[in-house]
Amino acid sequence: MSTVSEPLGGSGRSLSGARRHKSIRKNSRKIYSAFQDHQQGSSDDEDKVDEKVDSNDPEEMFQNIQYQKEIIANIRSRPWPMRRKLKVLKQAREIVLKYEGRLTRTRGYQTAGADLLKKLSRLLYNIVVLFIPWEVRIKKIESHFGSGVASYFIFLRWLFGINIVLTVMTGAFIVLPELLAGAPFGTTRSKTIPKEHLASAQDLDTIWSLGGYLQYSVLFYGYYGRVRKIGSAGYRLPLAYFLVGMAVFAYSFIILLRKMAKNSRLSLASASDESFTFCWRVFCAWDYLIGNPEAAESKGAAIVNNIREAIVEEQEKKKDTSLAVLISLRILANILVLLSLAGSIYIIYFVVDRSQKLEQEKPELTLWEKNEVSVVVSLITMIAPSAFELVAQLEMYHPRTSLRFQLARVLVLYLGNLYSLIIALLDKVNSMSSAVQVSTVNWSDSSSFLATISHPEGNSLSTLVSDIALSENQSSTTATIATMLAVTNSRISSGTIYNQTVLFEKNTRSQQDQCWETYVGQEMLKLSIIDMIFTVVSILLIDFIRGLVVRYLSDCCCWDLESKFPEYGEFKIAENVLHLIYNQGMIWMGAFFSPCLPAFNVLKLIGLMYLRSWAVLTCNVPHQQVFRASRSNNFYLAMLLFMLFLCMLPTIFAIVRYRPSQHCGPFSGQEKIYDIISETVSNDFPVWFSKMMTFITSPVVVLPALLLLFMLIYYLQSIARSLKFTNNQLRMQLQTERTEDKKKVFQMAAARLQVPEAAADKQPDQQESDIRSQETSIYTPSLQRNSIITSYQSPVHRGNTIRTITQSASRADLNGGSVAGSVRRPAVTVLPKHCLENNPNSRPSPFLGGPSGACRSKSYHHMTCNPPPHCSDSIHSDPLYRKTIRSVHPVEGARLITSQNYGVRRGHTTRYLIVNEHESRKKLLRSATRIPRHYFMEEPAEILELYPLNVRRCTPCTTYHQPHHYRSYSSQQHLSEEEGDEDQRKGRRKMSLGKAHRPRSLSDLHQPPHFYIGDRVENHITIDKEKRTARGRYRAQEKDEEEDGVGEVGWGGAELHSQSQASVRVADPLFLQTRRHIHSPGRPCLSPTGPRHTESHVKSKTKPKLETPQTESDSASLASSSDQQNSSADQYIQVINNKERYLKSEPRQGKTSKKKFKTSFELKNTESNDLLCSNV
Amino acid sequence: MGTTASQLSKESLSEYQELTFLTKQEILLAHKRFTELLNKSEKGDPNVRIPMNKINSLPELKSNPFKDRICCVFSTSEHKDGSLTFEDFLDLLSAFSDSATLEIKSHYAFRIFDFDDDGTLDRSDLEKLVNCLTGETEETKLSPDEMRQLISNILEESDIDKDGTVNLSEFQHVISRSPDFVSSFKIVL
Repeated sequence: MSTVSEPLGGSGRSLSGARRHKSIRKNSRKIYSAFQDHQQGSSDDEDKVDEKVDSNDPEEMFQNIQYQKEIIANIRSRPWPMRRKLKVLKQAREIVLKYEGRLTRTRGYQTAGADLLKKLSRLLYNIVVLFIPWEVRIKKIESHFGSGVASYFIFLRWLFGINIVLTVMTGAFIVLPELLAGAPFGTTRSKTIPKEHLASAQDLDTIWSLGGYLQYSVLFYGYYGRVRKIGSAGYRLPLAYFLVGMAVFAYSFIILLRKMAKNSRLSLASASDESFTFCWRVFCAWDYLIGNPEAAESKGAAIVNNIREAIVEEQEKKKDTSLAVLISLRILANILVLLSLAGSIYIIYFVVDRSQKLEQEKPELTLWEKNEVSVVVSLITMIAPSAFELVAQLEMYHPRTSLRFQLARVLVLYLGNLYSLIIALLDKVNSMSSAVQVSTVNWSDSSSFLATISHPEGNSLSTLVSDIALSENQSSTTATIATMLAVTNSRISSGTIYNQTVLFEKNTRSQQDQCWETYVGQEMLKLSIIDMIFTVVSILLIDFIRGLVVRYLSDCCCWDLESKFPEYGEFKIAENVLHLIYNQGMIWMGAFFSPCLPAFNVLKLIGLMYLRSWAVLTCNVPHQQVFRASRSNNFYLAMLLFMLFLCMLPTIFAIVRYRPSQHCGPFSGQEKIYDIISETVSNDFPVWFSKMMTFITSPVVVLPALLLLFMLIYYLQSIARSLKFTNNQLRMQLQTERTEDKKKVFQMAAARLQVPEAAADKQPDQQESDIRSQETSIYTPSLQRNSIITSYQSPVHRGNTIRTITQSASRADLNGGSVAGSVRRPAVTVLPKHCLENNPNSRPSPFLGGPSGACRSKSYHHMTCNPPPHCSDSIHSDPLYRKTIRSVHPVEGARLITSQNYGVRRGHTTRYLIVNEHESRKKLLRSATRIPRHYFMEEPAEILELYPLNVRRCTPCTTYHQPHHYRSYSSQQHLSEEEGDEDQRKGRRKMSLGKAHRPRSLSDLHQPPHFYIGDRVENHITIDKEKRTARGRYRAQEKDEEEDGVGEVGWGGAELHSQSQASVRVADPLFLQTRRHIHSPGRPCLSPTGPRHTESHVKSKTKPKLETPQTESDSASLASSSDQQNSSADQYIQVINNKERYLKSEPRQGKTSKKKFKTSFELKNTESNDLLCSNV
Repeated sequence: MGTTASQLSKESLSEYQELTFLTKQEILLAHKRFTELLNKSEKGDPNVRIPMNKINSLPELKSNPFKDRICCVFSTSEHKDGSLTFEDFLDLLSAFSDSATLEIKSHYAFRIFDFDDDGTLDRSDLEKLVNCLTGETEETKLSPDEMRQLISNILEESDIDKDGTVNLSEFQHVISRSPDFVSSFKIVL
């Protein structure tokens, strides 16, 4: 291609810009068309681009280098085979290397540095990949079970990451300082095990229930000292404890929200309400990761079910059979679910209550009694989901809906469990803290008691009472409870004093023991442990043992174990993910009271990872109803966020509401836990800071700040709303534009057919083409580059189309009758010449040596070109056209240029031709309806059909020609060359077009048959008869036209008939026509095909024969190559017609060069005669 | 490790990293897996082709209904026999890798689904595609009626320009809306 730049190179820089532009476009174009040309030696395009830049202009060089860099950067996202990518990369690199140094030294250094940086980052990336935990394992699972199952593990890994961070936070800022610098074990009262417990402190069951040594360790809140500063550095442990406790929540929130935002940014799907149910079910159905035959089988079954389901749904949108039964069943199911939810909540509350009672009644509890609560909770979380699943079968929902219901119910259950647990615990805490208060009162003096009472809280009072009642077990005090609310302090104190002796025994214990924070932490940790055990057991029992049983006992059982009852355990992704969320919720809830809970959770997650992955790989099959991985990602995260919020609430509530334990923990002795902040501020910061803090926290600042916040929220929300609105608006606009566009295209076509003023100037058409180019990009936002290309090209191509149309139209006008024969000749004679000229450029063709007359060579033209179905027609037809233009103009550029231009034009012409073809058909429709204007509105679908064809056909065609990237450019050039002629012609065309458009398409069709038949006959090629009937039909139209003169009314009528299947009228002229046609060319040349022709035409009398072949030749032609050939022949023929018309118009203008007439006049005689008769 | 590393030169390794979406480890692993499929005598030759049936015996591809199409699409063989060189193999893995863009994935998906390689998905392509998914057995295969309905529904949804076929841009448009195409259009060694 380097030669191209030479003749044009004079204009210098502006051209270089164009070249760059072009080459970029070409490269992007390549993506689009890569798969057509990748087998061919297509890499030469790149060679050309790269070679041609050899100028010394630094700006240009710089641009080129930038461009090459762009290539290097984006090369991996091109769908080319490796070898080609390698080649392009190498070339681009070479060029960059070669020119970069030449530009400036600094730039060279820059690139060297950038290169180094890139290498380093790649290295880093490679290393980082190594450290992603379980990458291999997850990949393995992914490749066996697909992305759905893998999403669970990825989620697990993500949670693991969060927990690692939480662990580091708590570990580094709380646990380690306490261990290193805090008071050692046994030094303070809160860090020593009470004497009566010391004996059993090492017992297994004590340890197991997290008592004994574990209770007095860093695991729990109670162990941490209240000393404000510990160690030599003066680490403020209480402050750190509080801040870290809050930071855990803050971090979780931030990381969750970020992840969610990222996810939602990634998924386009949430934004659009378009749904492609069927497409997705087919195109995106298969999970390419699946490598396990069993998984593949179940996936296949799922796909079949899915598809069937969709079809059935579509078929009978909603059939409400026995609606009453269904509804009652569903109500029943929901009642059952609600009952079980309420039941589970009640059971948990009851169990906590019971354990509390037991604790107060018995000094020593059995193992069961100690773990009762967590065991019950875990049991419920394990069993209830299965129960829900059973219930869900009653409902007979669509599987997807039922899965959603199931998830929602399970989530509610988990939340209910956690909440009832925590509420029961806090209730207990309430009583505990008040009990402590009571005991201190009794122990010391009544004044402090009064003080505690005087900061009264309704329920603490009542629980205090109940606690007393419980501890005493006396009915007399229960009597006091009733009157308690209205009772005075003295009465209480008297009551308590009355019971003093009883309480006193317990005091020593409760002092130390009743550290409610530790208690809550213990419960949460216990719950977590038990939950883990249950998970392990359930995996082993339900999955592993079951898998073993099913696998090994299936032979000796009377039914098929594998497919009937026990089956293999399914891996229920959604429920397992929910379980993870539940587990994480527990961690968040307990993290404040048990700093080591995140660390424990890390261990748990690691164990779960291995166990689950092992179980999945050995004994699970994927769930039939795979909950889509990526779609549900944000769903999971949203649930997690919900969980986090709900789990944070009780902790925050406890922190704010309850008084910290008096004798244990970092906040002992404070009124509220958060007092630590104000204390620190007042003690450790300068005075001005505390003043400022008090000022800031005063309502004067807080209220406006709050107000501001609300305003901000409101503002942002309104912005979001308006954005949404504009979004919708834009989408609407796109849609209307699209439909408008269709209309416009249609209008344009019709305008050409009908109204002179519409066709008079190119302006509206050009506009239209612009719109169309927009449209293409609109259609496919995802197209990116492709759409850009099309939009680049389409204006040009439209322009061409229009021009050619007008040309042909003008001809039709001129072509009164006898003129046609003579005028047509030149075109025909040109044909062989081009053929010969052009073929060397495109491809060595055997027919070159063929010594033959023009007629023959023309036929060769067809035949030899046809075998490679896509390109041949376009290659040859277009050159023809081009050539005629060329010869008209004295400008004879280098052959190469013209050939390139041919390449350029090829696509366009073919496209255009198809348009013509359609137009003719469309016109038929229109004339059938007889309301031309309405047609555009009524039949937008029709026009739609036009375009795809063109586009589609041109893609395969053009991509074969390597110079296609010059298309727009050279066509522009072409334009400029022709401008002069164009202007002159235009004027004439304007006048002629009024009638022209109508006969035009007919005349398009008009000519082909002759050539076609001639060709076929001469070459003895057997074609589908249907094809011929199609052609016969053309002839019929043609005939009609001729009969009717201008042909508006009569022809329309004829068409109407043909449309309405009353084909008699059409058929008759057709028959006549075909005779006339066929016998004239056929007779002199060959007889064998003659009869067949007539036969086919006779056949075409019947309407289906008339209609179907044509459409087939249009749309179905690509399906088979033979069809393709035929249809391409159609195109080809039409091209010729255009040329002829064009030429004919030329002589009218007096622009014709007589040379064209010279060559093969005599050879065309038969044909022209033929034409004459047909025209007359 | 030593042998695989020595077979792939550093230079080509970095080039492959540049040209594909794969990391170094993945390329090395791919090379290892690829050489495992070779006979002893072929091991030295960098341009050796592995026939399609051998590639398809990889567990990652074994149960894939489109394995033949995948091989054909990525093969650069002149005989169109679906045989792959190592570079083709890398191309395959790159297109199916985690970090490949939606665009490239959808492009290759389109080509995989385009059974007759004509650049559009027409009815026969779609029919083949559905048959691939459902399998050819009697109870899973869709009846002609179902098939017709399905295909017309697909075309109704995706065929924006109503030409009766799905072209690449239409296909990409549909695919880009799909939430889980990218996550499922993956093959991991």
